[in-house]
Amino acid sequence: MSTAVMHKETKWWGGGRSPFNASYGKVMMWYFLMSDAFTFGAFLISYGTIRFSQNFWTDPNKVFNSFPGLHGMDLPLAFVSLMTFILIASSVTMVLAVHEGHKMNKKGVEKYMILTIIGGFAFLACQAWEWTHLLTGEHIALLANGTLDVVPTTVTLNPWGDQLSHDAMIAALQTTPHDQLAAIASTLHHGGDAAAHNVADLSNAELINTITKSGLHANHTGPIAFGGYFFGITGFHGFHVFSGVVINVVMWIKTRLGHFDERGHYEMIEKAGLYWHFVDLVWVFVFLCFYLI
Amino acid sequence: MSEHHDHTVSSPEITFGHPPAESTKRIWVVLGILSIITVIELILGLGIARHWYPNDTWVLFVKGTVCILSLAKAYYIVSEFMHLGSEIRNFIMTIVVPLLLFVWFIAAFLWDGNSWKNLRNKYGGEPAKQEQAAPAHQKGAKD
Amino acid sequence: MSTSAVLHNADVHTHDAHHEHHHHETFISKYVFSQDHKMISKQFLITGIIWAIIGGLFSVLFRLQLGYPDTTFPFLEDLLGHWAKGGKLQPEFYYALVTMHGTILVFFVLTAGLSGTFANFLIPLQIGARDMASPMLNMLSYWFFFLASIIMFASLFVQTGPASGGWTIYPPLSALGDASSGSKIGMDLWLVSMAMFIVSSLLGGLNYISTILNLRTKGMSMTRMPLTIWGLFFTAVLGVLSFPVLLSGAILLLFDRNLGTSFYLSDIYINGKILPNEGGSAILFQHLFWFLGHPEVYIILLPAMSMSSEIISVNSRKPIFGYMAMVGSMFAIAILAFLVWAHHMFVTGLNPFLGAFFVLLTLLIAVPSAIKVFNWLTTIWRGSLRFTPAMLFAIGFVSMFISGGLTGIFLGNSALDIHLHDTYFVVAHFHIVMGVASFFGMFAGVYHWFPKMYGRYLNNTMAYIHFWVTMVGAYLIFWPMHYQGFAGVPRRYYDFSMWESFNQFGGLNEFISFVAMIVFAVQLLFVFNFFYSIFKGRKVTTTNPWGANTLEWTTPIRPGHGNWPGEIPEVHRGAYDYGKDGREFILQTEPVGENESHH
Repeated sequence: MSTAVMHKETKWWGGGRSPFNASYGKVMMWYFLMSDAFTFGAFLISYGTIRFSQNFWTDPNKVFNSFPGLHGMDLPLAFVSLMTFILIASSVTMVLAVHEGHKMNKKGVEKYMILTIIGGFAFLACQAWEWTHLLTGEHIALLANGTLDVVPTTVTLNPWGDQLSHDAMIAALQTTPHDQLAAIASTLHHGGDAAAHNVADLSNAELINTITKSGLHANHTGPIAFGGYFFGITGFHGFHVFSGVVINVVMWIKTRLGHFDERGHYEMIEKAGLYWHFVDLVWVFVFLCFYLI
Repeated sequence: MSEHHDHTVSSPEITFGHPPAESTKRIWVVLGILSIITVIELILGLGIARHWYPNDTWVLFVKGTVCILSLAKAYYIVSEFMHLGSEIRNFIMTIVVPLLLFVWFIAAFLWDGNSWKNLRNKYGGEPAKQEQAAPAHQKGAKD
Repeated sequence: MSTSAVLHNADVHTHDAHHEHHHHETFISKYVFSQDHKMISKQFLITGIIWAIIGGLFSVLFRLQLGYPDTTFPFLEDLLGHWAKGGKLQPEFYYALVTMHGTILVFFVLTAGLSGTFANFLIPLQIGARDMASPMLNMLSYWFFFLASIIMFASLFVQTGPASGGWTIYPPLSALGDASSGSKIGMDLWLVSMAMFIVSSLLGGLNYISTILNLRTKGMSMTRMPLTIWGLFFTAVLGVLSFPVLLSGAILLLFDRNLGTSFYLSDIYINGKILPNEGGSAILFQHLFWFLGHPEVYIILLPAMSMSSEIISVNSRKPIFGYMAMVGSMFAIAILAFLVWAHHMFVTGLNPFLGAFFVLLTLLIAVPSAIKVFNWLTTIWRGSLRFTPAMLFAIGFVSMFISGGLTGIFLGNSALDIHLHDTYFVVAHFHIVMGVASFFGMFAGVYHWFPKMYGRYLNNTMAYIHFWVTMVGAYLIFWPMHYQGFAGVPRRYYDFSMWESFNQFGGLNEFISFVAMIVFAVQLLFVFNFFYSIFKGRKVTTTNPWGANTLEWTTPIRPGHGNWPGEIPEVHRGAYDYGKDGREFILQTEPVGENESHH
């Protein structure tokens, strides 16, 4: 069997070839990825450290519970599992592209590269939707100045703290200025209540009355670092996905132009594949740290 | 060593390409494994969201399980999709061994993070009062 | 199924065919955008020298303030404008100088300047390769370093001054633009420059690693490599694994500065008003910084260690004592370097139980360090020593490494560190063990390989003056600082004269500053010697002026692009067969004779 031959040949250094039976380019790519693993590792470990240093941490199942097109349903983990499967699927098509490359099948490589690129774009699109959803979300939270307001999830604000007690909410509503009360009331009436149109005309007392009657739930603000780490790390990962897609597009073009056939091997596809799988690998841990636990 | 020897050939970098696998069966098997693990993770995670587990110890245990399952996924991605499993053993070692640094990296960081929490809970109090009461630097006024 | 042997003619080798004939290189392709590792190495070296002069000059400037706090120097105002109003260094500028001195010397001189120079120069020549694995990335590595240099240099000229929060850029000082004048645009430039620097070091490091692994000549097994290559290899590994962590830390810091995030900020009060940032931890940054910062110490030290090993063996005309022990201890140091970072943070409120682990791991470093020291000493023992300038500096390195290493044992104990932390004891410790020692290693390397770089010798008289003044001067500067540290004199203070307890050191400070100026002047003598000898130095007439075994001495003294005019030689033995069987030295290329004895 060939492996036996290979082992015999690598035992003693004869020079003039790679001791690892891998070209320098592939060796370099592996060590680059190892290095990048430390970049991501440092981000995720920082996140973990800050999370460990807090008495309270935001429950991801409350934050990430929406799915495009399904309003008002509590669907934790649903959208992110779609994203995960998209990325796994694109990883599989990438392996298949590498496989076709080994067989020197240009058409096959092209086909699977296209599928991989589509997978990459689909993932980025999902991420864009998720970010938009968080950044434009309307959640009612108790701000530092003691008033209630409708706020999104950003890097400086996290409306996902503990739930306010009823009494505390009533107290906070008393100090909340009119425009914020109106904003809260109109958020509550998203259903299309006729009163929603002219909430701004109501007095403070009337607004408070409407709000309390509608069974409002409001939260304290949660740890600010939650948003920072979420957007920071998924953004950095998204940046990697994006650059991976760019690399894949370049590889696809080079395949089409027949560069690899001329060269006699499809090793570049293999190297691009390593990068792409690494992106998938990082997602396994991002998924774990931000959504699952 | 002849004079006219073309030395571009004398130090080529020869690598032994992976023999092309005959079928893609292995890839689909791995896809199956990854999917199954992910589904298990999702079910366990959903349990946390829906409060299936009786107490915090259970939740912690489930979270630990999910972490181990993720490591298993990572193993399959690296070993099969990235073909690291079919590289030479020494090469695998040069990549896997440095990753062991993560053990202490994670342990020490989280340990200290946890310790900040304990310190804050024990000695923290209301920071505003203390800070404002404390005068500016007093280094010079010693003894 | 048979193994298919794929032949990659790596790009590196394709230029061989034409490097001897035709293909006239232009000035730009030869000296500026060169892809020849030897030229890139010289670019690193000369950029490093320029930075060293700037960094050294900064230390002289702030030593003026420390040594003569009550004197005004009108020329300073002419030189620095409003930073030295009335001829007296302003406090903000003092901090900026200290910060830039550290940044420049740690990163730009002793990281890029040291391993950039010698990894580039020696790796292909000593392992028998025509060039680096990827000459293109190698060139980019230099140009990213150049870009980083330009940005850092530009930060010296912005209105609010360069970064001034110390080279460790701890938040909140570095995270809040309003914290000090140096926390404004200077700090942003610092971070951007450092990001470029990290890219440069990554490109370089990946190249060094894959070159050493993949491009060794026939017979050059890992265990036959000169120790220099081992040292540079571990250095590259350390850089590749630790710099990304600084990158992450720096990115989060940039976010805190510019996007209002709270990674490092919590409970910050300015004039009694609380900032909205909450929940972050400034100590998290220290953890991230020192996760790089400690390996960084060895990124600086390992090249110096390994070059000194090589030079000591060559000039003792004896095999290095315990080759495998040397490699093993470097490996051990490389691993331990990653496990000990929090010993810089014992006084941050670090959990004492966790701290105990860091104490233990830190003190373990003494074991491989001691192995190395004893091996150097036993190599010198009963050797036929040739006191070339390179040898003197290598011995000086060992001396500095011992002196500085011993004080490391003090500081590694958390109980002692709580007293000594942030005092001049620390300043003395790290300047001796990683500053001066690494400089000595670098000087040793320059004196030893200058003939290979430029085909000429450096002037010996100037070299001996350089060595003795630097050696004695360095001890005169840093030895007294230990006593100051014991007495509790804190580092990074602008002026001590107002404190009764520190006043007693006024005269000592003046003395230190005086010696520092002399030592700096002697470094200028070295720089003069360097540039003078490039053009006017005594020509080297042999290919192997030091009678060394390693491969770089088997090529013409100034090899062309591609290093060996003919075939790359084959290696038949380790690099340290000195004084074997009555022969002074045996080149690595010489086949092992039938009757040859075994060591």
